[in-house]
Amino acid sequence: MNAAVRLSVSSLRAHKRRFAGTFLAVFLGVAFLAGTLVMGDTLRAGFDTMFGNAASGTDAVVRSADAITTPGESEGVRQPVPVDLLKTVDKVDGVAAAAPNIQGAGQLVGANGEPIGGQGPPTLAGNWITDPELNAYRLADGRAPAKSGEVVIDRGTAERGDLKLGDTTTLRTPDPVKVTVVGLATFGGEDGMAQVTFTGMTRADAEKYLTARPGEAASIQVRAGPGVSQQELVDRLTPVLPKGVEAITGQESAEENTEMISSQFLSLFTTFLLVFSGVALLVATFSIHNTFAIVVAQRTRENALLRALGASRRQVTVTTLVEASAVAVIASAAGLAGGIGVAAGLQALFPAIGFPFPEGDLVISALSMALPLAVGIVVCLGSALLPAVRAGRTAPLAALRETAVDTSGASRVRAVTGLGLAALAVAVALTGVLMSPSLWLAGSGAVLALAAFVVLGPVASTSAVRVLGGPLDRLRGVTGGLARRNALRSPRRTAATAGALMIGVAVVSLFTVFGASLKATMDQTVSRSFAGDVAVSTPSFGAGGSGLTPRLAPAIQRLPEVDTAVGLGRGVAEVDGEGRALTVTDPLALERTFDLGRIDGSLRSLGTDGIAITRGEADKQGLGTGDKTRLTFTDGKTETFTVRAVYGRSELAGDYVITRAAWAPHRTQDSDTLVAVSFKDGVSADTGTAAVEKVAARYGDPEVQTRDEYAQSAAGGIDMMLTLVYALLALAVLIALLGIANTLTLAIHERTRELGLLRAVGQTRAQLRAMVRWESVLVAAFGTVGGLALGGFLGWVLVKASDGASDSAFAFAMPPLQLAVVALVGLAAGALAGLRPARRAARLDVLRAIATE
Amino acid sequence: MTATTTVRTAARVVDAVKVYGSGDTGVRALDGVSVDFPAGRFTAIMGPSGSGKSTLMHCAAGLDTLTSGAAYIGGTDLGSLDDRRLTLLRRDRVGFVFQAFNLVPTLTVAENITLPLDLAGGRGDREWVDALVDVVGLRDRLHHRPAELSGGQQQRVAVARAFAGQPDVVFADEPTGNLDSRSGEEVLGLLGRAARQTSRTVVMVTHDPVAAAHADEVVFLADGRLVDRMESPTAERVLDRMKAFEVTTRTEGPS
Repeated sequence: MNAAVRLSVSSLRAHKRRFAGTFLAVFLGVAFLAGTLVMGDTLRAGFDTMFGNAASGTDAVVRSADAITTPGESEGVRQPVPVDLLKTVDKVDGVAAAAPNIQGAGQLVGANGEPIGGQGPPTLAGNWITDPELNAYRLADGRAPAKSGEVVIDRGTAERGDLKLGDTTTLRTPDPVKVTVVGLATFGGEDGMAQVTFTGMTRADAEKYLTARPGEAASIQVRAGPGVSQQELVDRLTPVLPKGVEAITGQESAEENTEMISSQFLSLFTTFLLVFSGVALLVATFSIHNTFAIVVAQRTRENALLRALGASRRQVTVTTLVEASAVAVIASAAGLAGGIGVAAGLQALFPAIGFPFPEGDLVISALSMALPLAVGIVVCLGSALLPAVRAGRTAPLAALRETAVDTSGASRVRAVTGLGLAALAVAVALTGVLMSPSLWLAGSGAVLALAAFVVLGPVASTSAVRVLGGPLDRLRGVTGGLARRNALRSPRRTAATAGALMIGVAVVSLFTVFGASLKATMDQTVSRSFAGDVAVSTPSFGAGGSGLTPRLAPAIQRLPEVDTAVGLGRGVAEVDGEGRALTVTDPLALERTFDLGRIDGSLRSLGTDGIAITRGEADKQGLGTGDKTRLTFTDGKTETFTVRAVYGRSELAGDYVITRAAWAPHRTQDSDTLVAVSFKDGVSADTGTAAVEKVAARYGDPEVQTRDEYAQSAAGGIDMMLTLVYALLALAVLIALLGIANTLTLAIHERTRELGLLRAVGQTRAQLRAMVRWESVLVAAFGTVGGLALGGFLGWVLVKASDGASDSAFAFAMPPLQLAVVALVGLAAGALAGLRPARRAARLDVLRAIATE
Repeated sequence: MTATTTVRTAARVVDAVKVYGSGDTGVRALDGVSVDFPAGRFTAIMGPSGSGKSTLMHCAAGLDTLTSGAAYIGGTDLGSLDDRRLTLLRRDRVGFVFQAFNLVPTLTVAENITLPLDLAGGRGDREWVDALVDVVGLRDRLHHRPAELSGGQQQRVAVARAFAGQPDVVFADEPTGNLDSRSGEEVLGLLGRAARQTSRTVVMVTHDPVAAAHADEVVFLADGRLVDRMESPTAERVLDRMKAFEVTTRTEGPS
């Protein structure tokens, strides 16, 4: 062992406690990162196996070649193929069996009357394919549906809805269909295809309820005879298929399915978690840097002695770096193990809470081993680099000086650089917000703002702590005053300690502000453009749910209490080659229940060849009233429409409106997403609502909501997301808390003699504890206030930039209550972090502290 | 001894024994010391290193506890107090001047002087403090930080702080140990003046005969025992006594 390493080892052994905070910070960050990677890989592998198993009997899939994809959707709408194609397929040499696969949306109602699923993953219904090889689902219990009204459902859905063999329930397609469960099925060896619900009906039922016209199917599944490979089968099928229809191998189909789940769910999920491990590690950087900076400061005399005895700068620097490496390697390795443990734990936990985690061993790829290790080590060493270099610069003379306390201050260069950065950040962000709205510019501004905060921290901490601690002097007397001055002692250290918390709080408040703004936007949208009294909708988002039956709106319209009831259906078409979502409705009624802003032209005469467009879209496409545009529907037909109206507000009505009559020839499975109802004059809200509820009960019992309730439920997903975000950010706050505690403990060690003096001249233990706690609270307050300011600013930039960059108007909202809670949590974290150091300080032996060395 | 019992004592120890460690390895730092510190007098405790003089001061001041025997400040038996009450007693009735690191670096001179008063939360006697500032001659330095003062000035601040709370007794532990002779002179003069002008009791531990000469009386300690007392000392007499005393201990040998 050379001298530098030997010194490091002995120092580590002597000061295990000092590095506990560093160890924990690295450990938590690395564990989070490793856990995320391993879990993502494991899930992906699980889905691969599942889809592979499910599609193992299908050698080829015949389907329409084109899909219409609207912006913001990953999976396009594919036009159906005629079932007649079966005859052609059957004749192909090498085909052993073929079956049509009819698919649509169908939401089951559970035993308790509540719909099952619909909060994201699709709720599917289809025909039960009788050839077990071609059916992705396997019958696990009971039998296949034999007559109308009989269904097979997947076992996972049955469990969630508490449905058993022989139970009768409702399937919303969206028309309510009475069904009896006669069989339970598994998918690819699992109880279900993740959270997707599936209902298999007889082919006749499926054609009746799930397709617009009989004789159509989503695809045709084909099985090859012996000795024919999947590729050979596809090669033989392709020449006989009509134009616009393609054949793909079963393997490709399975891969597409996996890809779909991966891109829709897994990538989002893993990206989300990776961002949070990034935040956690960033926060850890501050804590680690601080620990090493203090350790080096405390060791100034020791290092100076080494230098005086002839150690080179490099040797002193290397000694510190070797220590950092040891901590980094041990903590990262432990974190890696911890992360794998977390992933294993989640794998066991998920099925218990009803999320079918695909079975199989944990997948630990080389990347998910190497990356967290590398990141942990780089973060730790990177954070220790500056302090190590500073240690090397220790002048040999420092050994002779009295005490070595880190009193690094804020230099003028720092202030100037920081202010420059801040000005640049504000300028870039404002340009991105006001001048030429762009999220990219605004994002760069945000990153610059963060950098400016970090650089300016030590400069700002002095005045900030002075202001924040102002009331302390008056409230807590000399104890408070001492706490405040202790926090002021080393601005750089205070700033770094608070910086960790600052970033955590900034991200929390950024999300809080953004979430509140989204909700306010939703609120504003509903209150501005929804002129009706109640809304009928099914609570669902994402691809789930089956919507409302189109027969509901006319039924409500017939009520004597109701003035207008308008159903909003959805359709897709390509407008001039681009996939677009259409709103299919009665334009006249739409005008009465929604505020569409200024309307050019008239919605009265859309007919079967007219279309209404929002002003924003019209401007983009260069269309005006009277112009013609071509729409291509999913059935492959292209028709020319005339723009008869251009309207101002699109939030609820959508960008393109056509009549039901125009949509009818091209329709797929019909459903409305929303029925807006306005009452006649003199009808009270209660009577009206009660009447509407009565009708709704006959059509699958969707929810009837007032305008406010509707606005709130539309924003319900945001709250759910925020809760998840807060849970994840708790980790970052925890690391920040560890950082504060660690810094304080080290600072107290540094001030032993001063604390002894205070105790000797009459500071009680309680006063001493209070002093340390208040210092901790002050540092936390600085971090919290900085974080709130930074997060608020970033939230504003993000909202405004989104507002400018997209068509829909974003409202900006600062939720005072939530932000106050965030502030309180920050302060409480400070008080909590101060507890242990305060107790340790109070245990101090007065005599030993003041005894001259 | 009859004289001392009639004079009011500010602090005293009776049969004080302090043992560090236990059993065979135990060290008797104090071995049955009884001494009174009469009110209004400046007493110096002298003795060679290891004689137990610092231990005696620490125990008499309530910074440390005795193994057996009793220590009193005024009429209060320190052994009967818990940590909190002991702290309050130090704050309200005792003043301290240490050899080094006497001041809180984050507080100004003025704040350091009033620290015990501020810790007590009361207003204290501000006129008294104001007068003290003039006695120690630091009026133009009140808003400076300790780091901006010389060692002698820092010690003068410490003296002012020790007297600020109008304590019964001020304990000084080698207050001139880190100072050059001129600054030391100043501080000692100050201690003596403060004691006599304000009729406060001062107890100082020192190994420097010149410093001890400033006191009204010197008590000599050796091997944890009180060996002699000397009224109105001069540096030479103290030095002589010390020399004689070293010879005695040496001749006595390891008995």
